[in-house]
Amino acid sequence: MALFRLQGSRVLAVDLTDDAVKARNGSMVAYTGKMTFKRLTGGGEGLRGLVTRRVTGESMTVMEVKGFGTCFFAESAAEINLVRLDGEKLYVEASNLLCTEATLRTGTSFTGLRGASEGHGLFTTTVEGSGQAALTSAGPAVVLRVTPQTPLSVDPGAYVAHTGNLRQHFQSGVNWRTFAGEASGEAFQIRFEGDGLVYVQPSERVTVGGQI
Amino acid sequence: MAFTQLTSKMVRADVAPGQVVFSQRGAMLAYTGQVTFTPSITGGQGGLGSMLGRRIAHEAVPLMTVEGHGAVMFGHGGHHAHVVDLSGETLYVESDRLLAFEGSLEQGTMFMGSQGGVMGVIRGQVTGQGLFTTTLTGYGSVAVLAHGGVFELPVTPQAAVHVDPQAYVAHRGDLRNRLSTAVGWREMVGRGSGESFQLELSGSGTVYVQASEEKL
Amino acid sequence: MSQGFGPPPPGFGPPQYPPGAGGPVVHDAHTLPADDNVNPYTFSVHLDGQWFLQRGKMIAYYGQIDFHGLGHGPLDRLVASSFHSPLHAAQWVVAQGRGRMLLADRAFDINSYDLDQGNLTIRSGNLLAFSPGLALKQSIIPGFLTLIGTGKFVAASNGAVVFVEPPIRVDPQALVGWADCPSPCHHYDHSYLRGVLGGVRMLTGLGGLSGEEHQFEFAGAGQVLLQSSETLMDGIDTGSVPWEPGMPGGPEGMAGGGRGPGGRGPLPF
Repeated sequence: MALFRLQGSRVLAVDLTDDAVKARNGSMVAYTGKMTFKRLTGGGEGLRGLVTRRVTGESMTVMEVKGFGTCFFAESAAEINLVRLDGEKLYVEASNLLCTEATLRTGTSFTGLRGASEGHGLFTTTVEGSGQAALTSAGPAVVLRVTPQTPLSVDPGAYVAHTGNLRQHFQSGVNWRTFAGEASGEAFQIRFEGDGLVYVQPSERVTVGGQI
Repeated sequence: MAFTQLTSKMVRADVAPGQVVFSQRGAMLAYTGQVTFTPSITGGQGGLGSMLGRRIAHEAVPLMTVEGHGAVMFGHGGHHAHVVDLSGETLYVESDRLLAFEGSLEQGTMFMGSQGGVMGVIRGQVTGQGLFTTTLTGYGSVAVLAHGGVFELPVTPQAAVHVDPQAYVAHRGDLRNRLSTAVGWREMVGRGSGESFQLELSGSGTVYVQASEEKL
Repeated sequence: MSQGFGPPPPGFGPPQYPPGAGGPVVHDAHTLPADDNVNPYTFSVHLDGQWFLQRGKMIAYYGQIDFHGLGHGPLDRLVASSFHSPLHAAQWVVAQGRGRMLLADRAFDINSYDLDQGNLTIRSGNLLAFSPGLALKQSIIPGFLTLIGTGKFVAASNGAVVFVEPPIRVDPQALVGWADCPSPCHHYDHSYLRGVLGGVRMLTGLGGLSGEEHQFEFAGAGQVLLQSSETLMDGIDTGSVPWEPGMPGGPEGMAGGGRGPGGRGPLPF
């Protein structure tokens, strides 16, 4: 079974013994032992979502890495966050998913308005099954628990991922006014309600709606 | 050693009479005491000939000489800085990754092409840098820049290490390097591009790898 | 060499964290720190009342919190008592209510600072938020803001902040701010340009203007705050002060000060 561990906070080390992981194409920085690489495009369980969704026009591809030894992954000096799934479903921004065990299923989920506000399209990547996944974030992610008594509001640009049974909806944050009293735009947050965990990064992607 | 890691991105060098430090120009953040900074064309013992050779190879990074009595803090561009202490060995590092090094170290350049055949050529293409790598030999400290910090991977005769050339920072020890490509890798990244190769380092030593595929 | 680059004095700097063991730490509305760092890049405010935030720095919150742009009617009195700088109003928000609020800035290092009848001057782009016990004023040094009074503020830096006691000379780009000591003066190192090599350098233009030729010099008792950066964090507009006789710089030189609002800087890694 593939073993995920951190080499420092920005490098993912995966020990492989003739098993496989799926990782973002080009994220391998070094390896020991013997590895084979295979490009995965289009096919498979919802991987087409991963490939085509990005509004930036840059298509994201996924590779399968298989072999014996240790493979090191990193992505533009981003922090790595390990997530262990025991049957639940992880929702994650496609650009934040670095690597998953091959046993985990990846797919896409319609998220509606939230995605639109982020300029990230209308879909979020989902990861399901039992095993480990590695997420990237700009700065180490803070993991925040949501309970029915304590809903959470998040800047859309700082949202990375969530698990659990959560409802999300848009909420208006602030009305910008100039000193003359004229409205100068409005900011939005995502409000999470229910039971679950939300991963938030200490940084904000450029968004249309955020900016508090 | 004369270098102290103050934060992940800042290094302090103590300077005393008779102990020269070389640094990348513009990398001084602050200093106390009586310290002078002099632009250095040669960067020390390399000599003018060496310097010309390196300019041709586009490897010359402007250096300055730091002398006097005091303490100087170095950093550059908000990149991570990593201190390597040498005790007799040689460090191989691309010169634009050198933040500062002690004058007690002997500086030279090495034609990477002579080691491992086409490797230097390909790496030059990949990294946009020359075929020359800076060598620092002897006893002293070196501060190396990296995007996102570096981690050290030991290389033993039993376990070679393959590195993405863009993530390679430096190496030390008795290592041979050559270009290799793993099964499926070239098909994946596209034939003919420089990225279709990895650096294979074998022998006994240490390779320094950064947490990013981006060059500085 | 006795002037040390020591650890931060008490009351300064983020707490130290033990290396993480086991899985990720999960925080909730009750276990988030109160007015302290969650990690080196995230600060948790225990809000019960008001705080001032620079726009775009709130990443998440629990509780009942409203955000108001400056100039919003009910808070005008509070604003009048805390802002003494012709600030670009759209850059600041008042957070009002009860709850826990997380602040961060492009994954830069975050420090909080307690002032007790003190003053600290900071680069405008590095200031994230402050409590209403502090008054914000514009420094005479362009692009810097001075906080005066008793309270807490939160600031970002590229890499952890290093504290140094004067006398010291600092590359302007590495300066985060200073506390208690007089304003700096300019120091030019002419020897850097002298001699054969300097001449060659002037002829060839190798190198350009750098921190080795021009520094801010600090003297007296106090603390100087440094970061590792030559790519500056974006300054925020500190506003312009109308010129009047006796103001330094003349009518032309007084405009602006920061590097203007908007724009996002490079990531710190």
